[in-house]
Amino acid sequence: MEKMALKYSSYKSEKAEIVDIKKLTENEKLFRVVLKNKGSLDHEPGQFVMVSLYGIGEIPISVCSSPMISDYFELCVRAVGKVTRSMHKLKKGDEIGIRGPYGKGFPVRILEGNDLLIIAGGLGLAPLRSLITYVLDNRRDFGKVHLLFGCKEPKDMLFSDELEQWNKRTDMHYSCTVDRASPDWAGNVGVITTLIPGVDIEPSKTFAAIVGPPVMYNFVIKELIAKGIPEQNILLSFERNMKCGNGKCGRCQIQNLYCCQDGPVFNYEQIKNLSEAI
Amino acid sequence: MKKPKIAFFDFACCEGCQLQVANMGEGVLDVLAAFDVVEWREVMSEKWDKKYDVAIIEGSITDNHAVERITKIRKKANILIAYGSCATIGGVNGMKNNFELDDIRKYVYGESYKFFPTELTKAVHQVVKVDYFVNGCPVYIPEFVAILKAVLQGIPYYVPDYAVCVECKLNENICMYDKGVTCLGPVTRAGCNSWCINNGNICYGCRGMLSNPNEKSARDVLAKYNIPIELIINKMNMYNKCREII
Amino acid sequence: MEENQYVVLKKELFNDFITRLAGIKKLVAPVSKGFKNFAYEEVSSGEQIALKYIPTILPAKKYFMPQNETLLEFNTGKKSNVEAFVEYEPVTLFGLHTCDIAGIQCLNMALSERPKDYNYLSRKNFITIIGLECNEYCDEFASCHLVNADFPSGGYDLMFTDAGEYFIVHINTESGEEIVTNTEIFNKAETFHLNELIKIRENKRKIFSNEVPIERRHIPELFDRSFRSNVWKEVGERCLSCGNCTNVCPTCYCFDIRDELDLDMKHGRRYRVWDSCQLEPFAKVAGGFNFRKERFVRQRHRYYRKFRYPVDKFSRFFCTGCGRCTRTCMANISLKETLSQLVRESEDRVWKRWL
Ligand SMILES: Cc1cc2nc3c(=O)[nH]c(=O)nc-3n(C[C@H](O)[C@H](O)[C@H](O)COP(=O)(O)OP(=O)(O)OC[C@H]3O[C@@H](n4cnc5c(N)ncnc54)[C@H](O)[C@@H]3O)c2cc1C
Ligand code: SF4
Ligand code: SF4
Ligand code: SF4
Ligand code: SF4
Ligand code: SF4
Ligand code: FES
Repeated sequence: MEKMALKYSSYKSEKAEIVDIKKLTENEKLFRVVLKNKGSLDHEPGQFVMVSLYGIGEIPISVCSSPMISDYFELCVRAVGKVTRSMHKLKKGDEIGIRGPYGKGFPVRILEGNDLLIIAGGLGLAPLRSLITYVLDNRRDFGKVHLLFGCKEPKDMLFSDELEQWNKRTDMHYSCTVDRASPDWAGNVGVITTLIPGVDIEPSKTFAAIVGPPVMYNFVIKELIAKGIPEQNILLSFERNMKCGNGKCGRCQIQNLYCCQDGPVFNYEQIKNLSEAI
Repeated sequence: MKKPKIAFFDFACCEGCQLQVANMGEGVLDVLAAFDVVEWREVMSEKWDKKYDVAIIEGSITDNHAVERITKIRKKANILIAYGSCATIGGVNGMKNNFELDDIRKYVYGESYKFFPTELTKAVHQVVKVDYFVNGCPVYIPEFVAILKAVLQGIPYYVPDYAVCVECKLNENICMYDKGVTCLGPVTRAGCNSWCINNGNICYGCRGMLSNPNEKSARDVLAKYNIPIELIINKMNMYNKCREII
Repeated sequence: MEENQYVVLKKELFNDFITRLAGIKKLVAPVSKGFKNFAYEEVSSGEQIALKYIPTILPAKKYFMPQNETLLEFNTGKKSNVEAFVEYEPVTLFGLHTCDIAGIQCLNMALSERPKDYNYLSRKNFITIIGLECNEYCDEFASCHLVNADFPSGGYDLMFTDAGEYFIVHINTESGEEIVTNTEIFNKAETFHLNELIKIRENKRKIFSNEVPIERRHIPELFDRSFRSNVWKEVGERCLSCGNCTNVCPTCYCFDIRDELDLDMKHGRRYRVWDSCQLEPFAKVAGGFNFRKERFVRQRHRYYRKFRYPVDKFSRFFCTGCGRCTRTCMANISLKETLSQLVRESEDRVWKRWL
């Protein structure tokens, strides 16, 4: 067997450095990453990158910072297994590999001029943070902006500083709920769908963006359709097992669609007849 | 960085996979060079009150003494590795569970059996938490090396949860069923690179069963090949008896 | 048919030809392994080759996309360094049936789609393909006519057709032409040779006919109607999820990517290995949720990846009718039988609607 260096490879990543790490919760950390030999990552909100820890593995992680920032980007990672736990052990200055960005994110140009209803469940806030910060950076291009956020317990709350800031803004409506309250919790308790009826929007000119655990989707979609939001205006981002990001390895397939290339963001009309989607 | 301390312990075991470190070929020795191998007698002596980083357990848990001993070891070890079928699935020792306990004691100890209490044979993880499983009887050395590397890297090792057939096909073996011979490959966990079939033997299921085997269909397949179900149950029990107590 | 595209090789010169061919670069051909099993293996003489063979255990994809293939090599640690590699081997494949050539055509399409797979695309240029046409069915499991893979249609450098005393050889590419020139063993094809070829093909058209009672162009519709069919449930109940049917399939290319460190724990490689949508962990995500948990859903996915999804994307079926999946299945799950069941069930449904 002979060996030849490949100038182009769809599996090779860029060198990147972790320039800052912030602990968000017991299980989630926020990594600020700079590409060493390339300028900006140049991503769209909702896109993801493949993160490499050489010798351990490679995993898909959503970019959670605004595309308006070009010096660095951020990844919010929950420690669940081999690569993510190892990532949590990394320190400032450590090197990782990045390839991407991959996939189709939120169609921000199409969203312009519309009201936005952003619904985040748990870690789903990470990819949506990239959309939210983009929208806030370009605030006047959009109509009303609502953010609904739900998580298990108050201590699981991601980006709590930012949530607080967003809560204070007058050009954005924010509400939040937890499944189980702690003694000092004064806010809503219950599933996220309970927040939807109270939202004041013009359904025909609203886009909804939803990211959360698989169980959340059906309930939320039903509520949104009841509210009169058109099916093609309901945007969802899916998580699947991904190995290549190139539409080849077959793991992320949702029937005929490849989540890594055709998604991860889909509109409801595209996938409503696909039983493997939700 | 200081080398992690590693210690070996053996329990009831068929001796088929005695941990003969010296015989394991270079791969293992090279990886073990990254560890500080401590003599087990030393570790087990009364004086040893320190912890060790890695404990490798061979053999299954067959009586009260063993339960006590393994519990002690677990307390002192950061990482515990079950090594070989006896430790990971109960192995051949599990066959004991096929018989009435008194019968076994009678058989083993003669008439004085009443003085020798014995319990159901258990795999190590049925008694204490196990961090890494080195399956197989004997273990497959390249996998053992991979697991030791994972220990050094501080990452988990996942035993494949798919059939030995996968590796067997990748090695392009002629299927035993084409030769008219029964093979446990379709219900056994891969990870051994199908080395028995590569060498002309059938798979005896020594690595334990898949987490979710299609047992009904596996039975039908055997019927189709005119293989008496008892034969296969015997073969399977040889290694997998302990599965029933989980 | 243009005469200058054809040459003739006398059967008595076949062994000489193989020896000469093996002198050019590594030569691989079907070899008998016993128990009605065959495999593509390196050969150096004609006697080793099984000219009459049923599809090999593994298809020729093992040369285009090896079971275990290095993608990257790296150094970990402070001064990390990563290189992308392709491992390749110049090789001539002799004796590929039209179904196996169709399989390579499928892989070519899938892996040259953007983002391109440069490992595959670089390696494929080192491989020469010499086909060997089937004049009759290999066995009862074949369904190459159904998917239009029973006659040669490109994808090879040379194509051999057995005409009794001699082979008629079609030259399809320049590198095929080079083999003909360099081995100095072929004769010019005369008109009567070509007439013979036409006769063989006519005869073949009588032998090869639809193996499943449905017209080719109606297959996508059949699948559109059958997503919720009971046939999948029945197939799923029998399936052992051993993954054999996909590993032996010439058009399956799903893979896993893994990392491995050398003994020094500093250098390592990232490699890919064949994987299968039939295996339980395939579509499982961290957290334990499995998007294709049930066996019948996984089996259904396999069939749709052969007969429905690629039709939209690549305008062809990703099944070559080679029959390997059926031959290898211990649970007796038969591709032809499953398709026939779908047809029958679908007809029943249509009738019921009319009655
Ligand atoms: C488009 C996309 C975007 C994503 N964005 C984010 C993000 O922004 N932030 C984030 O944190 N995550 C995100 N994820 C999820 C993230 O990719 C996964 O959490 C990650 O791949 C887990 O990798 P791991 O190596 O840490 O876990 P693994 O070690 O692969 O597995 C995690 C869990 O599965 C079990 N497991 C896995 N394999 C086996 C096996 N063979 N046997 C037994 N158990 C097994 C482990 O026990 C563990 O509990 C995203 C995923 C996708 C598809
Ligand atoms: S020989 Fe055994 S392991 Fe190999 S494919 Fe056949 S049944 Fe599976
Ligand atoms: S082939 Fe079967 S018996 Fe042999 S080592 Fe593997 S699991 Fe054990
Ligand atoms: S070969 Fe048969 S039993 Fe194995 S996965 Fe395929 S259909 Fe299922
Ligand atoms: S699906 Fe079966 S018959 Fe079709 S190409 Fe694959 S192995 Fe051959
Ligand atoms: S499936 Fe058709 S083309 Fe392939 S070997 Fe059989 S007869 Fe020949
Ligand atoms: S991640 Fe490999 S196909 Fe989508």
